[in-house]
Amino acid sequence: MAILEVKNLYKCFGKTEVLKGINFSLEKGEVLAIIGSSGGGKTTLLRCLNFLETADKGKISVDGKVIFDGDEHKKISDEEIRKNRLHFGLVFQQFNLFPQYTALKNVTLAPNLLKVDTPENIDASARKLLDRVGLSDKVDNYPCELSGGQQQRVAIARALALNPDILCFDEPTSALDPELTGEVLRVIKDLKNHNSTMLIVTHEMEFAKKVADKVIFMADGIIEEMGTPSEVFDNPKSDKTKAFLNKSFEVF
Amino acid sequence: MFLDVTLNLLQNFLITLKLFGLTLLFSLPLGLIISFGSMSKFLPLKYIVKVFVWIIRGTPLMLQLIVFYFGPGLVVSMFEAEGVNNGFVDLMRTLNMADPLVTAVIAFVINYACYFSEIYRGGIESIQIGQYEAGYVLGMTKTQIFFKVVLLQVVKRIVPPMSNEIITLVKDTSLARTITVYEIIWAAQDYVRNDGLLWPLFYTGVFYLAFSGILTLLFGFVEKKLNFYRG
Repeated sequence: MAILEVKNLYKCFGKTEVLKGINFSLEKGEVLAIIGSSGGGKTTLLRCLNFLETADKGKISVDGKVIFDGDEHKKISDEEIRKNRLHFGLVFQQFNLFPQYTALKNVTLAPNLLKVDTPENIDASARKLLDRVGLSDKVDNYPCELSGGQQQRVAIARALALNPDILCFDEPTSALDPELTGEVLRVIKDLKNHNSTMLIVTHEMEFAKKVADKVIFMADGIIEEMGTPSEVFDNPKSDKTKAFLNKSFEVF
Repeated sequence: MFLDVTLNLLQNFLITLKLFGLTLLFSLPLGLIISFGSMSKFLPLKYIVKVFVWIIRGTPLMLQLIVFYFGPGLVVSMFEAEGVNNGFVDLMRTLNMADPLVTAVIAFVINYACYFSEIYRGGIESIQIGQYEAGYVLGMTKTQIFFKVVLLQVVKRIVPPMSNEIITLVKDTSLARTITVYEIIWAAQDYVRNDGLLWPLFYTGVFYLAFSGILTLLFGFVEKKLNFYRG
């Protein structure tokens, strides 16, 4: 059974329709890359999954359990939204680390507040996570003392600390200098090797091609094309995909 | 003589400090509550609070002191003439009988809470939405996000404008004499009146300077303490 299933998802802001019926599913351990030009609805889709936006119509199920149903018009309680959110982790384009806490405290804050374990265990597993993203020597540093790439790796560790079923990345390298993107992408690749289920919105085409199991090309609020990386990148069927890929690769 | 004057003025400066301390104690938290009101999504509450802040910030503190000092007495006599007696009249009666210092504290607290509320609002609204969203996706509640993520960042940003306002408060306390709170400047004026001495009046400035000097150092220390992170 698919770990994530999105059915017929709609979202509009005022009169602008941003998502116009999104359908896809994701198997456990799969990596899905979402590509497409800005304004195509990629980020909005991620935000709907994380309940930062509420979709207007459609269904979202995780592990067979419906966590959002636009047809049920009862209001979901804050408590329930918080619980549903924990199925997902989200890594932001702008990192959004908490500046007043050290790298370690950034990772342990939420698990401690949610009391998922004893403080000692939370501390130990946070150190393990920071080690895994290559920052064991930076646990006591504040975000302002870290480079963008290091900050983003802390943010990944922070998202992993709550053991989400699906980890979402919203253009994780777009705010980074080119020489720093590599270290973040390596961490994501390493997560794939550990069978993490991931959903990555990205402009790094080469990376999407290499790491993703499945690629979605979104344009104007619909899924224009979906398939394996070789299907989408090497044999795109839709004209829009072709045009987008031509533009993306012509710089090289 | 100099020592006598110093001791006497110091004693009356304690009244000033008392008014200062009590005002801060109550207006700092009240200001936060008012700032929540002015940011409320419930529009009637938001606009009532905004109008209230406008009235308080838009009229002289001295006038507010006079209203709080004479107002309750007027209300009581008005209602007594009508033969009305209820909880509200009782409250006004209590306020009318209250020590002028208490009346002054009430007026100062309301006035400063309104100014503080705008500083809080500025600080809270300057926090990037991403900080809240990061908290949300980590499953935190709104309260947890406010206290564990946002508050310290707000405090760091509002220390400079707050120190400004608090140092103004030190000197504004002298307005309380208009409603018969005997404080340092009044005590100095008695020297002019009774002994024909002018210098004690000038001398009061030293007390204000010394105290605001201490506060300046204190705020500098707090700012430095909060400089352990940037952003």
